[in-house]
Amino acid sequence: MLTISHARLDYPKHKAFDNFTLAVKPGEMVSIIGKSGCGKTSLLYAIAGLLPLSKGTVSLTGGAEACSIMFQQDRLLPWKTVLGNVLLGLTKESVGQAEMLLDRMGLYGHMKKYPQQLSGGEKQRVALVRSLVRNPRLLLLDEPLAALDEQNRELLQQEIKEFVVTKGITMVMVTHSIQEAIFMGSRILVMESDGIRFETENPYHKAGDLRSRNEFFALEKVLRAQLGGPA
Amino acid sequence: MKYLRGTSIVLVLWYALAWVLASPIVPFPHLVLVHLVKSLGEGKTYLHLLFSLYRIIMGMMLALFFAIPTGMVAGRFKALDQVVSPVLYLLYPLPKIAFLPIFMVLFGIGDLSKIILIAVIIFFPAAVTIRDGVKEIPLQFLELARAYHLKPRQILKDILWPAILPRIFSSLRITVGISLSVLFISENYAATYGLGYYIMNSWIMAYYIGMYSGIVLLSLLGLGLYIVIDGVERLVVPQSAL
Repeated sequence: MLTISHARLDYPKHKAFDNFTLAVKPGEMVSIIGKSGCGKTSLLYAIAGLLPLSKGTVSLTGGAEACSIMFQQDRLLPWKTVLGNVLLGLTKESVGQAEMLLDRMGLYGHMKKYPQQLSGGEKQRVALVRSLVRNPRLLLLDEPLAALDEQNRELLQQEIKEFVVTKGITMVMVTHSIQEAIFMGSRILVMESDGIRFETENPYHKAGDLRSRNEFFALEKVLRAQLGGPA
Repeated sequence: MKYLRGTSIVLVLWYALAWVLASPIVPFPHLVLVHLVKSLGEGKTYLHLLFSLYRIIMGMMLALFFAIPTGMVAGRFKALDQVVSPVLYLLYPLPKIAFLPIFMVLFGIGDLSKIILIAVIIFFPAAVTIRDGVKEIPLQFLELARAYHLKPRQILKDILWPAILPRIFSSLRITVGISLSVLFISENYAATYGLGYYIMNSWIMAYYIGMYSGIVLLSLLGLGLYIVIDGVERLVVPQSAL
């Protein structure tokens, strides 16, 4: 589905990341954690085609159009209604699916509202629907829930996970939260600016009681040790 | 209500001035208003109003027709901005009214020269405001457009245009006052209709009540334009009213 080979990305004054190699199979849910400034977001932007690599390659089945990204900030256009934002760049044929997804996210009654009239959690939900309505084969998530309170964050994590698993979408998520990485990812990577430092499978990620399992806490401990400090 | 309060303050000041001066040069407001209502019903006064309205609206449209693409191009493309902006800055401060005789030679003594003069005056602040509006569009929205593979036409329609619309209305609001002042001067030359002509003609004939009627109409024209601009903005930029 996605192959990244010996990728390096440079900014004018510093390196974002180097020597990053990764292969993601269809339907896989990959969580990437790493310290601030290790190039997680830049990597995601490179996959989405928003930043050019200085070296190496990104190969994506179906091309860049097969992927959809959800940003850290909601990036909702203030001059468009909720429905207008969701349908950005799409034709009227997508209205039905947009309405269905908004309904699923509990936003059906907010369709004609403007972003300024929504709460932070609602805005992120709209941003999520906007990225899902495009029927992506690869969903890229850039710390999408970082700005939310714990309750909203866990609720949305659950909703995203259910949707992605049900639809068989491949997911690559960047997060600073170890718990979020474990909950969402079938594979978890610890990234450094010089590549992948640590990688592990998460065989329990589909378990309903994942958050309360001993394996969850054990994995959290391992990842925390690998990170060697706050993410 | 806000207009009623403003009008009341102006009327009180006007009454005070008329009472202090006690001269036909400043008639009492009620005399002017009675004359105004009467003349609108029977005379050609409404024609003067319509001609002025026509010239100012055409001037605004013509200015925006050129200012919108100029501002958008300068705001979007840095290389072009480096050519366009210095030209705007050089020509913006020129007293355009001084070019009225040239416009009259080039475009005739009819409506066109007056409309072009108004358009030239509105063009500069509008182009600069629109350019700044485009420059201030958050980079993350343009990134979003790229991430969702929007075509150039969609970027224009869904991001650039709605982002600059409030700027267009701001520039119109800023220029309405100056446009009316210039309209007044331009209608003093080779015109037989227009509020500028009506005011100055009344003044020459020492017909002060008529002159003040024209001034009140010019002021009401300005107020009407502000109300219309605000109303249209609420209609096409609905989020501005939230």
